[in-house]
Amino acid sequence: MSTTRRTVLSAALAAPLATWAQQPKPPRLVTISGAITEVVYALGAEAQLVGTDTTSLYPAAALKTPKVGYMRQLSAEGVLSLKPDAVIATTEAGPPVVLDQLRSAGVKVELVKSEYTWEDVRAKVQAVGRAAGREAAARELQARLDAEWAQVGQQVAAAKGPTPRVLFILSHGPAPQVAGQGTAADALIRFAGGVNAMSGFTNYRPMTAEAMASAAPDVILTTDQGIEALGGVEKFWQRPELALTPAYRRRAVVSLDALLLLGFGPRMPQAVREVHQRIHSS
Amino acid sequence: MTLQCVDARVSAGGRELLHGITATLRPGRFTAILGPNGAGKSTLLSLLSAQRRPDAGQVLLDGQPVQALGAHALALRRAVMPQESAVAFDFTAREVAELGRYPHRKQPTADEAGIVEQALAATDVAALAPRIFNTLSGGEKARVHLARALAQVWAPLPGGAARWLLLDEPTAALDLAHQHQALRLLRGWAHGQGVGVAAVLHDLNLALRYADDALLLAHGEAASHGPVAEVLTAERIARIWGIGCTPVRTGDGVLQYFFN
Amino acid sequence: MTAPRLAPRTALVLGLALVLLAFMAGAASGAYPIAPAELLRMLTGGVQDTPAQLVFLNIRLPRLLLGVAAGAGLGVAGALMQGLFRNPLADPGLIGISSGAALAAGVVIVLGTQWFPALPHTLGSWTLMLAAFAGGLSVTLLIYLFAQGPSGTHIGLMLLAGVAVNAVAAAGLGYLNFIATDEQLRNIQFWLLGSLGGARWSAVALVAALVAVACTAALAWARPLNAIALGEAQAALLGVNVERVKRAAVVITALAVGAVTATTGIIGFVGLIAPHWVRLVAGPDHRVVLPGAALLGAALVLAADAVARTVAQPAELPLGVLTAFIGGPMFLLMLRRFRSRV
Repeated sequence: MSTTRRTVLSAALAAPLATWAQQPKPPRLVTISGAITEVVYALGAEAQLVGTDTTSLYPAAALKTPKVGYMRQLSAEGVLSLKPDAVIATTEAGPPVVLDQLRSAGVKVELVKSEYTWEDVRAKVQAVGRAAGREAAARELQARLDAEWAQVGQQVAAAKGPTPRVLFILSHGPAPQVAGQGTAADALIRFAGGVNAMSGFTNYRPMTAEAMASAAPDVILTTDQGIEALGGVEKFWQRPELALTPAYRRRAVVSLDALLLLGFGPRMPQAVREVHQRIHSS
Repeated sequence: MTLQCVDARVSAGGRELLHGITATLRPGRFTAILGPNGAGKSTLLSLLSAQRRPDAGQVLLDGQPVQALGAHALALRRAVMPQESAVAFDFTAREVAELGRYPHRKQPTADEAGIVEQALAATDVAALAPRIFNTLSGGEKARVHLARALAQVWAPLPGGAARWLLLDEPTAALDLAHQHQALRLLRGWAHGQGVGVAAVLHDLNLALRYADDALLLAHGEAASHGPVAEVLTAERIARIWGIGCTPVRTGDGVLQYFFN
Repeated sequence: MTAPRLAPRTALVLGLALVLLAFMAGAASGAYPIAPAELLRMLTGGVQDTPAQLVFLNIRLPRLLLGVAAGAGLGVAGALMQGLFRNPLADPGLIGISSGAALAAGVVIVLGTQWFPALPHTLGSWTLMLAAFAGGLSVTLLIYLFAQGPSGTHIGLMLLAGVAVNAVAAAGLGYLNFIATDEQLRNIQFWLLGSLGGARWSAVALVAALVAVACTAALAWARPLNAIALGEAQAALLGVNVERVKRAAVVITALAVGAVTATTGIIGFVGLIAPHWVRLVAGPDHRVVLPGAALLGAALVLAADAVARTVAQPAELPLGVLTAFIGGPMFLLMLRRFRSRV
């Protein structure tokens, strides 16, 4: 039987059932990307969640859901074995062939593009709301988050004093990189009322002492995971590239959990508030 | 039906290896190619086998230039036993000898396997047939290569053209008994089957005993060509090799030399 | 040492049995649960249109067939290369196909949208495949042409040219890694690790056709390759047209491995191991090594893929990781044997 026939049939069946105010079975969801998973929990729809990817680390319950792998290398059969009705992901999910295979198996694939603005968060909330069949709850959540965001924005705008020069360091591995334009970190620094000390390039570049010195950041922004990877804050400051920066002299480093900081999810207002407070106080 | 080179010259790396050699080899005769090191013996053999082109002059098989005949046609008529030949992978001795029948794969005789077995028996390596070639001793390997060459030209050719065996130092790795056995075999093929045999040899006494003719090379030139006993005079040996010798006659009337 | 060996026919039947076994195992394994009874019904033609059927026909089955084609192509190419270079340690990567394909894939992934923005719209997901195929062939052609000397193709030169060109391609890929965004970097990485995940029927049909042609063509060169084991000079004296054999081996390898690599990324070690194992069991005659390596290669890839799809369910491991995990230690074992002979 083709999927269209099945959909029509199930819709036809749903109509009389709905008159008894009985809901059709809630759609099963697979979410790819930590922020999108967070939205599901924020909507209270976690019962519908049947699988997540390896970047979905918050809240703790998400760690216990079946993992379909890394977002860029999904397995069609793996996702389908969880029998989802919808997959919600960012446009970074792949490979494209697998997404096609999911669509042709009748799974709704919702993709959200990352522009690194507040719109990202709204788009994610809307996409999850659509896919989960909870548009009303999604609108509510959206309104709440918009209000939070507006409040944080006012707080940031009202802050007095010089704009701190902030530099974001990403350390996945042995070669730390600094964030230029067009990155999540760059956007976050701006939202938090700072200015990116590095300019003139997009994406990430390897950290060099000279570049650091001429950028002269007042504060270093990084992730908790990055600090851990280097062996703690003391080891972090031992990196020679940092030695000539104002941030080093003041030992001014702000670190947050990676997903919270860069995920552009429902906790973004919270992240911006925290970064704003800490870059002004350090 | 001859194998000849006519005024053949070969140069390499700015040096002339052969200066205009002219020689005619006839089937049914065993010709020993002799000379000191660097005289050009292997080079001449490679010309005769068409492995190498002369820079000037010609090599003719039955009056036709060998280059015009094509690799396949040549392979049906002449077999070459190399001085040494490493074999990749763990082929057995039998498989190596079997490769001698490769040129005949399109028109096999009734008993291809039989030919290979007989060739292996003729060079006394039948017992080694199932063994891996690379595990054999130097002498055993040489005898397998000889069996391969024999297998290649085992059967008389339709049309009666002469077959040729060209061998580069066939006795170099062989022990005393097998040296004599191999050369006796080659002589038998020449006389009994009308095959033309040409072999590069170092041992003058072996040449005197088994070869019919000798082609003596020195400094890239043909110093002498004719019946072996006429070519290898004590005086010529002293001149070419710089070593004195005393002739002796063996019990069966063969000329040999004691060297000083 | 005598050589205890399987007869050619026995060996090839065994190989075919292994392929069928691995195919069955692959058909029955995977993240999506399909009961064996249902599987049997599907295979015997009972059309049902259930979700399981869709998963099997559209996702698992093309993947299995791609696995067969990939393993067969890599196996036979490996055997050809080892025969050509007269060395059991040779593999198709020596003539630059893998590095050329990787470089082209890298260029498309990193620079594709900048340089040829229209391309993805016209060719879609075929862009990467076609680019990788073209890249592999181009680099191989370059290496082949470079190795032409006055007396034909010089194998030693080809090997050295391959080393140099592979190094340049690797450097190019390194530069692409440097300028790539995080996303592009990950995409390159996964492409390099190899996977059968990109199996669509259209692509699989093409690759399978090319590999089938390649395997058939290769068989014709089995006996000449045997002769070449004596050395090029001796083979020529036996009437082998050595130049033609070289050209055929390079062309067949380039087409088969190029097509496979374009679709699956880099799957290592199969081309190296499959011919070697066949030789260990059935001897070095290319008339059994060429088809045997194709069969064993197919079985290897199918088996590795079945493990890749099940060991980290519902995610899957990249195939290249598994073939390297198995192949690496095997390679060392082979080296030990080779070393004791040197």
